[in-house]
Amino acid sequence: MQRQSIFRKPAAGGRNSRSLVQSVALYAGVAVFVLWILLPVWYLVISSLITPQQLGSRSFSFFPTSITFDNYLSVLTGSTGGAGIGSTDIGSRLLPAIGQSFLVSSILVVLNLIVAGAAAYALSRYPFPGSRRFELAVIATRVVPAIAIIGPFFVAFRVIGVLNSPWALVISYNVFTLPLAIMIMKNYFDQLPREVEEAAKIDGAGRLQTLLIIILPIARPGLVAAGVLIFLEAWSEFFYSLVLTNQLTVPSLLAGFQSVQQFNWNALAAATVMSMIPPVLLVMVFQRNVVGSLTAGVGK
Amino acid sequence: MSSSFSNGSLARADAWFGMKMSAVAAIMMAVLLIIPSALTIIYSLHNVPANGSSFGEFVGFRNYEIIFTSNVFWRSVWVTVVFSVGFVVLSTLFGLAMALLLNQEFLGRGLARGLLIIPWATPWLVIGILWKWYADGSVGGLNALLVGLGITGEYQNFLSDPNSALLLAITAAVWRQASFAGILLLAGLQTLPGELYEAAELDGANWWQRLNNVTIPWLRPVLVTVTVLNIIYAFLQFDVIFAMTQGGPGDATQVLSILIYRQLFVVTQIGLGSALAVVLGLAALIGGLVTVKVLYRGKAAN
Repeated sequence: MQRQSIFRKPAAGGRNSRSLVQSVALYAGVAVFVLWILLPVWYLVISSLITPQQLGSRSFSFFPTSITFDNYLSVLTGSTGGAGIGSTDIGSRLLPAIGQSFLVSSILVVLNLIVAGAAAYALSRYPFPGSRRFELAVIATRVVPAIAIIGPFFVAFRVIGVLNSPWALVISYNVFTLPLAIMIMKNYFDQLPREVEEAAKIDGAGRLQTLLIIILPIARPGLVAAGVLIFLEAWSEFFYSLVLTNQLTVPSLLAGFQSVQQFNWNALAAATVMSMIPPVLLVMVFQRNVVGSLTAGVGK
Repeated sequence: MSSSFSNGSLARADAWFGMKMSAVAAIMMAVLLIIPSALTIIYSLHNVPANGSSFGEFVGFRNYEIIFTSNVFWRSVWVTVVFSVGFVVLSTLFGLAMALLLNQEFLGRGLARGLLIIPWATPWLVIGILWKWYADGSVGGLNALLVGLGITGEYQNFLSDPNSALLLAITAAVWRQASFAGILLLAGLQTLPGELYEAAELDGANWWQRLNNVTIPWLRPVLVTVTVLNIIYAFLQFDVIFAMTQGGPGDATQVLSILIYRQLFVVTQIGLGSALAVVLGLAALIGGLVTVKVLYRGKAAN
């Protein structure tokens, strides 16, 4: 199957000229769609760019007359104005948390591309007795709720002393990233033509040699897609980070900040916007690969 | 496949290579999934001390008895079902509507399609935070909007009312998942051959008939997959509700995952929490087996 992009191909419908009524209905639909997606995001962005006074005003405007970058400055420099009793200062912890999120996500991407990539290639090209069952098990584990097995992780990590370290997350996130990576890459390898490998084999190349020299370069789009999806899952994960660490990564830090009594929504909004930028940007850049790989195993 | 196994030493060497390549992944999954699952089941049969340092007293199925006779549990099951049904139905329908809309030709379509990515790429927890404050009773944008449009007279505290809190939690989760469904369904729509439409048009089929007789049957495999994925996400949902309501007000939005979290880490009844986890895990596993069946039947039919 060829790569698809939902953003390029011409559509099947809508070739004929429309009546005025149809056009009006279509553009009304588009307007509703745009508002549905953008209004909450717009509200968040606006909140991060105005003062608490502007936000609390009962004549709150979706188009503020003046904006400020103070909220961003305060979360970046560590003075979020939450000096009250029981408050945690998010500012001093946001940049370290972003760093930890990047660290955990990147380690997982590299680790899973190697481990899951090898397994996916084997499942696609070198089936062995029981490989089919292994593949089905991989798919089935995608649905085991992470929450159902958190208890033993918590106890085991406390015993070996990795609670509240990035390693707790690097280890436990494999529960869901590994099966995802295997599925995505297996689907991708299945679509690659086998002729090149046959030719390499005839030329006397070993199996591992063939994989490293011939397959890896042509499989790049699939590996990129898998990498992006692993990063996305690791970046977004909240529950394990909440339980196994003390607000180490961005999502659990944001949740912790929100639960504090004295805090400031404008500052939280600025931190939230910053937490959304890496994943959204990543998907925007690689959307062709990612959408193609998501639909490869699905749309028939 | 079967012939390759009976092909002598080369085939055996191929299979051996495949096993070696899969070994690390297989071992990791066994260690990270089977052992914790087994331990959770063992915990569920014990009265585990709050610090989890030992299994504690063996109590057989007592924990399960407590669960199945508890109103809190059944109330949580009910909330989970309501949340899941609302989430699955709305995500699938909105996703389909978006895909159909974005498959039309209009000015700025590329940009509109790009918007689908934003909710999908946003972390679930962030979606919860975003919607909590959007719907907030004192600073919320939703209130400003409703008052501005004259729909409500004054600011409402939506999240402190049990019904509107659940509705808003569903809405926030649907906001994300419908976009994901829309992306998959739109990709499916784009593989639909234009000739099918033209033939239907020549036959005088109207828009509704074309949708029903051409588009939906063509999308069926994608629709099935999207629906199953939505069901799975519904049962696993934790982040959005945790951020928006923490299960409240009262127990109005306390889905099973929130209840398990509370049992394990707030009131630290590890045995009871583990038994709940086993119940949810079994329900999800059954869902998973159905997923596998459905996905592979789709493949076989191809």
